[in-house]
Amino acid sequence: MTDTLVATPAETPHCVFDAKDFSSGAHPVWCPGCGDYGVLASLERALAKQGRPPHEVVLVSGIGCSSRLPGYMSTYGFHGVHGRALPVATGLKLTRPDLEVIAVGGDGDGYSIGGNHFIHACRRNVDMLYLVMDNRVYGMTKGQPSPTTEADWDSDIAPGGIGLRPFNPLAVAVASGANYVARGFSGDPNGLADLIVDAIRWPGFAFIEVLSPCVTFRPEQREWKKMVRPSAISIEQDRAAATALVLADDGFSMGVLYRGDRAPIAPALKPEISVADVEREFMVAV
Amino acid sequence: MARTSIAVVFAGSGGSGAMTAGAVFLRAAAHAGYYGMMTQLFGAQVRGGESASLVQVSTAPIETQPDCYDLFVALDWEKVEQFAAEIPLDDRSIILADPAEGPVPAGIAKSKGRVVALAMNDPTENKLARALRGKRVNMFAAGCVCALTGIGDGDAKAAIDTIFDGKGADLIAANAAGATLGAQAAPALALDLWLEPPRKAARWLINGNQAVAFGALRGGVRFVGCYPITPATDLVEWLAPHLIKLGGRLVLGEDELASVNMTLGASYGGTPAMTVTSGPGFSLMIETLGLAVAAEIPFVLVDVMRAGPSTGIASKTEQSDINLAIYGGHGDAPRIVLAPVSVADCVNTGEYAVYVAESLQTPVIVLSDQALGQATTVIDPSSDRPAPLRRRVNGVAPGKPFKRYATGGDPITPMPLPGTPQLEWVAEGLTHNEAGLPASGAAAHVAQIEKRAKKIRQFDPGDHWGEVWGDGDVAIIAIGSTIGPAREAAKRLAASGQKVRVIALRVLSPLPMAALGRALDGVRRIVVIEQNHGAQLYHYLLGHKAIPSSAESVARPGPSPFRPLEIASYVV
Ligand SMILES: Cc1ncc(C[n+]2csc(CCOP(=O)(O)OP(=O)(O)O)c2C)c(N)n1
Ligand code: SF4
Ligand SMILES: [Mg+2]
Repeated sequence: MTDTLVATPAETPHCVFDAKDFSSGAHPVWCPGCGDYGVLASLERALAKQGRPPHEVVLVSGIGCSSRLPGYMSTYGFHGVHGRALPVATGLKLTRPDLEVIAVGGDGDGYSIGGNHFIHACRRNVDMLYLVMDNRVYGMTKGQPSPTTEADWDSDIAPGGIGLRPFNPLAVAVASGANYVARGFSGDPNGLADLIVDAIRWPGFAFIEVLSPCVTFRPEQREWKKMVRPSAISIEQDRAAATALVLADDGFSMGVLYRGDRAPIAPALKPEISVADVEREFMVAV
Repeated sequence: MARTSIAVVFAGSGGSGAMTAGAVFLRAAAHAGYYGMMTQLFGAQVRGGESASLVQVSTAPIETQPDCYDLFVALDWEKVEQFAAEIPLDDRSIILADPAEGPVPAGIAKSKGRVVALAMNDPTENKLARALRGKRVNMFAAGCVCALTGIGDGDAKAAIDTIFDGKGADLIAANAAGATLGAQAAPALALDLWLEPPRKAARWLINGNQAVAFGALRGGVRFVGCYPITPATDLVEWLAPHLIKLGGRLVLGEDELASVNMTLGASYGGTPAMTVTSGPGFSLMIETLGLAVAAEIPFVLVDVMRAGPSTGIASKTEQSDINLAIYGGHGDAPRIVLAPVSVADCVNTGEYAVYVAESLQTPVIVLSDQALGQATTVIDPSSDRPAPLRRRVNGVAPGKPFKRYATGGDPITPMPLPGTPQLEWVAEGLTHNEAGLPASGAAAHVAQIEKRAKKIRQFDPGDHWGEVWGDGDVAIIAIGSTIGPAREAAKRLAASGQKVRVIALRVLSPLPMAALGRALDGVRRIVVIEQNHGAQLYHYLLGHKAIPSSAESVARPGPSPFRPLEIASYVV
């Protein structure tokens, strides 16, 4: 079953916020023109629209240019080690279901060093959003090929290209059980903000792959704005159809690919026993 | 003449039920009012291979493996010989075996122990019939050993009721009948193995892994991230159902990197959290341990040490992760390292670890070992609990931005819970300024390193630092499962007129210099005993000048446990 992407009906927010309420005011370290500025702006807009106050939101990240993002927002944050944002976010959301937990990072952080966690976070289907700023390069370490880099992209560390077929994050997410899978573009902050709101509201593990150019090490990515096709993917509820669609796509179709109906992992139960009850199990009467 | 303790081995092939025989004997003894300890040996096979349970029962608490076993009960002889090297027997040992199972194998017979014939099987029954009837030889053996040591049929029956609870009345009745038959066969053996009557009291039957887990629950841990690894798996398997019922959660990560990071995530949200592992998993967690130090996120890491390096010997003990626990990781990353001093102390050290982690906002490592973790022990109920300490979440100094990592004053700075308005902060692993923003200047780096070092430096464990027994001018310093045999050795030396004091460190890092100095007052000779080849503890103490260079080191790898005789013969 397929239908086309439609705008999500606007809900009245709990409180009225402005995008700038979500900015920490810190000056990003990013290069001028970096795609990550657009993602930051989109997140601020989306959270303002979503309507939860900054103190109820936690942004969790790993290491990379993109992973610096939590420091630029006024929410709570956790800037951990390279590749481990998803497990941190998982532990947090499972124990604090009242919080809005959003994991963010780069393609290196999420697909190579953290690749195993990506697969298992999709499987676990904890109710949170994972947003990857994919620039098809390790930006922070100054330009090495990542799992999404084109096979023939020339670099110092892999002259002539890495020679490997790029990884398809959307297909992996669908196959691994993510309940919401979409692709966005940092050059379209309004469209991306809408996608983020939609993803946050969808139950379970939502994954958004965001094309976010690295203008310094992949200047050719400035052309992406001419290549992307907004709202071009259709929403599938069938995993096989979604997989076929995304594997046939050139990677520049934007929008929601898949919305599933898996129930997210349930929160912990109310206590039924006390520690004193546990203690009694050890007792040997005489 | 009645004895005060006995050490018994039940050994047999897979399916012979040697483990259950040991469990019944130990529990029956606990019912009767004795102390005891059981450890297990397994053959190379992953499942269903030969096994042996090693059970000691005594009128006093047991914290060490014996020098020698008094009684070896062979349920059969298939491949049991492979344990010969790990089960010391001598000419005073009694070997109880069914002649129908064939001759005593050379590896066991060479001990010159006295072989006593005991028909445990019904000779008219063939193998198939026996298989159908189920394993009763083990119950016969357990019942017989209970009777031989003076433990009544009622205690054996109570143990069987508990151990087979839920398995059906028929099975319980059949097992009890087997034990009764065994008890009836005991008098004819005319063996002098009677135990002195015990001082009866209600006790706990618990192993070190359960004890650490239970202590952590008492301390408030309600989230555990873990990945299975021997010999820590049974700890988390015990925890999982209990945590669910307590309203907490255990999550099986995809690996240790996930487990430890989930643990940090839960802790950041305000839930006291723990991860549990052994050497190989601990190695994988080291990067995140540094993160927890830098970002000041509390959590407890339990390492049930096994023989290393690499995958080593998964099921057997060693104390070779001392360096990793104290120093593991890059950069200056001071942390707290605790080591329980006995199985009973695992409860308190587990609980205390949570309090220290929460109050200092720092990782606390609990270094247990397989020999403690998998020793099922009868202990006095643990009621003397450490005073609770909590995380500081309130009391923020006014002003914007909120300085989560403020320096200059108390190094323990408030850590507001996410969800608290106006106090948003980012847990930061990069060198950061007081507000938690990344900073690469020297001043912030030095100030934050000093802040974290100061927390550790000013940590005062009080009486928790360690334990001292005895007051001789010779001191043995030990940790974990080597303390028990050291204490036993000291008792024997004292009996022969040589006073030896045993000093056990519960706080390994930061080294409790003053308390250790007081404990060593008046000592002329120091022996540091540890179960690793590189003398990790010895060099650590020497490096801190906590002991003089004249101190002696007894360091040898596992997995063989230290026995009292080995220590006593060195020290004497
Ligand atoms: C364990 C570890 N290995 C390597 C690094 C070095 N490192 C820092 S960021 C990074 C890659 C980041 O790439 P990506 O996630 O795509 O982020 P980007 O900078 O492109 O936004 C690497 C390899 C590290 N910090 N930690
Ligand atoms: S190096 Fe690339 S990814 Fe990093 S900040 Fe600059 S433009 Fe952005
Ligand atoms: Mg990248």
